[in-house]
Amino acid sequence: MLITVENLAKEYKSYQRGNSFGEAVKSLFVRKPLYIQALKGISFKIAEGELVGFLGPNGAGKSTTLKILTGILYPSSGKVDIMGYTPWRDRKSYVAKIGAVFGQKSQLLWDIPPIDAFYLNKAIYAIPEREFKRTMDQMVELLGLGDLIRKPTRQLSLGERMKCEFIMAMLHKPEIVFLDEPTIGLDVIAKDRIREFILEMNKTGVTFILTTHDLSDIEHLAQRVIVVNHGEIVFDNSITTLRRHLGEKKIIAVSTVHPLPDLALPGINITNRISPFQAELELDLTVFELNKFIALVNKTSTIRDLSVREPQIEDVIKVLYQLR
Amino acid sequence: MSTQSGIKKQVPYLFSVLKATAFSTYKEWAAYRSQMAVTIFVGPVFFLTQMFIWRAVYATRTTLNGLTLEQMLTYYGIISVIGYLTYDSADWDLQWLIRTGSFLTFMLRPVSHCYYAFAQKIGHRLLALWVELLPIYLIFFFVFKIPLVPAEPGWALLSLTFSFVLVFLTNYCIGLSAFWLTKTEGIRRALLVLLDLCAGMLIPLTFFPTGMQKVLFYLPFQFISYVPTRVFIGHYELAGITLSIPQVVGLQLVAILVMFALYRLLWHLGIKRFTGVGA
Amino acid sequence: MKTNLRIYLAGVKTALASRMAYRGDFLMSMLIMLLVEMAAPLITFLIYENGATFPGWNMYEALLIQGVFLLGKGIAYPFFFGIVWNTIERVREGTFDLLLIKPKSVLFMAIVTAFDSEDLGKLIGGVTLFTLSLKRLPAPGWGEWLQFFLLFAVTLMVLFGYGLIMAGLGIVWIGNFRVYDIFSSITNFGLYPTAIFSKPLQTIITLIIPIAILGSVPATVLLGRPSAGTLGAVGVGLLFLLFSLVFWQWMLKKYTSVGG
Repeated sequence: MLITVENLAKEYKSYQRGNSFGEAVKSLFVRKPLYIQALKGISFKIAEGELVGFLGPNGAGKSTTLKILTGILYPSSGKVDIMGYTPWRDRKSYVAKIGAVFGQKSQLLWDIPPIDAFYLNKAIYAIPEREFKRTMDQMVELLGLGDLIRKPTRQLSLGERMKCEFIMAMLHKPEIVFLDEPTIGLDVIAKDRIREFILEMNKTGVTFILTTHDLSDIEHLAQRVIVVNHGEIVFDNSITTLRRHLGEKKIIAVSTVHPLPDLALPGINITNRISPFQAELELDLTVFELNKFIALVNKTSTIRDLSVREPQIEDVIKVLYQLR
Repeated sequence: MSTQSGIKKQVPYLFSVLKATAFSTYKEWAAYRSQMAVTIFVGPVFFLTQMFIWRAVYATRTTLNGLTLEQMLTYYGIISVIGYLTYDSADWDLQWLIRTGSFLTFMLRPVSHCYYAFAQKIGHRLLALWVELLPIYLIFFFVFKIPLVPAEPGWALLSLTFSFVLVFLTNYCIGLSAFWLTKTEGIRRALLVLLDLCAGMLIPLTFFPTGMQKVLFYLPFQFISYVPTRVFIGHYELAGITLSIPQVVGLQLVAILVMFALYRLLWHLGIKRFTGVGA
Repeated sequence: MKTNLRIYLAGVKTALASRMAYRGDFLMSMLIMLLVEMAAPLITFLIYENGATFPGWNMYEALLIQGVFLLGKGIAYPFFFGIVWNTIERVREGTFDLLLIKPKSVLFMAIVTAFDSEDLGKLIGGVTLFTLSLKRLPAPGWGEWLQFFLLFAVTLMVLFGYGLIMAGLGIVWIGNFRVYDIFSSITNFGLYPTAIFSKPLQTIITLIIPIAILGSVPATVLLGRPSAGTLGAVGVGLLFLLFSLVFWQWMLKKYTSVGG
């Protein structure tokens, strides 16, 4: 296994600080520690060449996990073994073999061309000149950047800058690349190009681990999804399994001529009752067949309009996020 | 509607804007009061150095440039207290607004940005009043035994108020330079250093060579802190010219009017340029 | 060592390239960086110009102390003191993490990404003030020069120590640039002959907090009248450096346990 994580836990200790002046003065002497369980002992394994997506609502523990895996943060307890290293203990030798792109934190330098920043990384990672040139040219080609890497960064579009961030993070040919919201704020075309690039690099054997809020990232990229919520892993499997996670369900929107009947029946889950004549609901086909449902509603209320659709990945995620 | 009743409506409105803005600025900055409170350490430490420098200088004499050691230290005490009272960052705030373009949102408001910024300054200084000024004043008064009592309180208060406004207008004009210069850090800092020097923050202006004193007399900088300090002491002198307190406070008012005219001019030209480019 | 030097030079190159994007402002800023340091020499000059003195010191002797002080700052500020603003800014903006994903020590990365070209103005000022005042004074002998350079090396180490402590404070005291004010207020004592201060204060700035070592201790050696407690000042300076390194590591540890 390339990455083995066992019982990883992280507890933050912070101090309550009062709002008023009096409380602030008091907090100088008596401080109430506040413990926050960011990670409650998570375990997973990732093999070489995998492309894994981390999903989870804000504050679920995604970034904490990513920070620990990249050696930025050390955990309260648990074991992490990545290529034989413990990230926070063997930080320097470990990070030489990984790359990271943070969607919100730029490694480029605003006033000078990206290529100058690349040269800085060349020195830091001690990349030989020929190898540096070859890798850079290859990635510039793949991302369709052309001569843009010679223009000052501030003149580039967000998409172009993000492409350069990828080059910056991968010039030293890392075996694992961590991506933290790599497509945030990008237009559709730039997103596509970057996703293609990730898939292309993945084919050459680079392992990618990404966190995102963009579900289409997950759908396009990840073979495997790990959903984190409240510091725990609530789902860890393939994307196809994730889709089927809710079982044989349909999402139905219905509007009627006469008021709807009381639909509190087994197999029906009303998600939104818009008016007495209109509702949205989830139907579990193993309990309640579709034709029976339609017949029931039509008989009591006369259907005016009805639509049936497959549950979207969003619906599944919403359910997972709401788990307590 | 006659202008008379228009003004009558305008005044309470402007006052309520002032109050609301000052109050929200006060609250906003209250979160950073620990940074502000650093002054309570930094101020007295700087003053301590001054004290030793001048003690050494006066070791072999009783007066220098017409000032006794006590008067000299009083000068530094007053000028630094005035500094805490009148400080603002109007220049920095404004150039940031202009450079980022967030300035445009102020063009949509019914109050001029200048007025809004002035209200912000009031809020910010109200916080500084008890976080910086009061502790420093007490330390100077009781620890360093500097007699920080104005000779003529009425005139001193008026002069301080004028200085408060003048510092703001000067900084605001410096900030307006961002309409013309893309990166203004250097020029701004140059002006601020010049200002400190010419306003007598480093050393009483009477220490400069006579020729330079004459130039300084005709520049507006002296009205920022040198004049209020002298009014506080109750005796004004520069370039061999002695003026009565009412005279010099009057001149201070003239300086404000000149600065205000300059602000209107720069503003007018700047806006023209801003909208002309269509940024 | 050689790779590290290459990395550092690459950092200097990128910083210079960035700064050259605004050439006009760069030259102006450099000049200003010099001018802001001229306050103390100006006060000194005006005091002597008005016929007064620091008893026992002529003007050039007093200016030499300030020249040494400025020379130290002129080397420290562009080449390594940038760790202070670099750390404060990065911690505030969350980009400090980026230093931790590089295969070098965090301190080294913080130095590499903090070269401050406009502070070279301070160096120019320091060299000028130092040579101008030394020219008006009796020429020091070889032995005195040797002692000076040894002491000046300690000056730089102490400045590095101050930088580490300030940067470390920047990790826990988020966004607070006022550490610079604290620094300049206490080191202000180092700009003047130690003898003008009261005896207890002299002891404090020589043997407790290393301040005299920033100016008067090395300067007086060149004047051929070494300050009392020179050796002690050296010892304190080295201890201070050691302490600051520990402090930085401690603050860094805090950062990696809380994560910004």
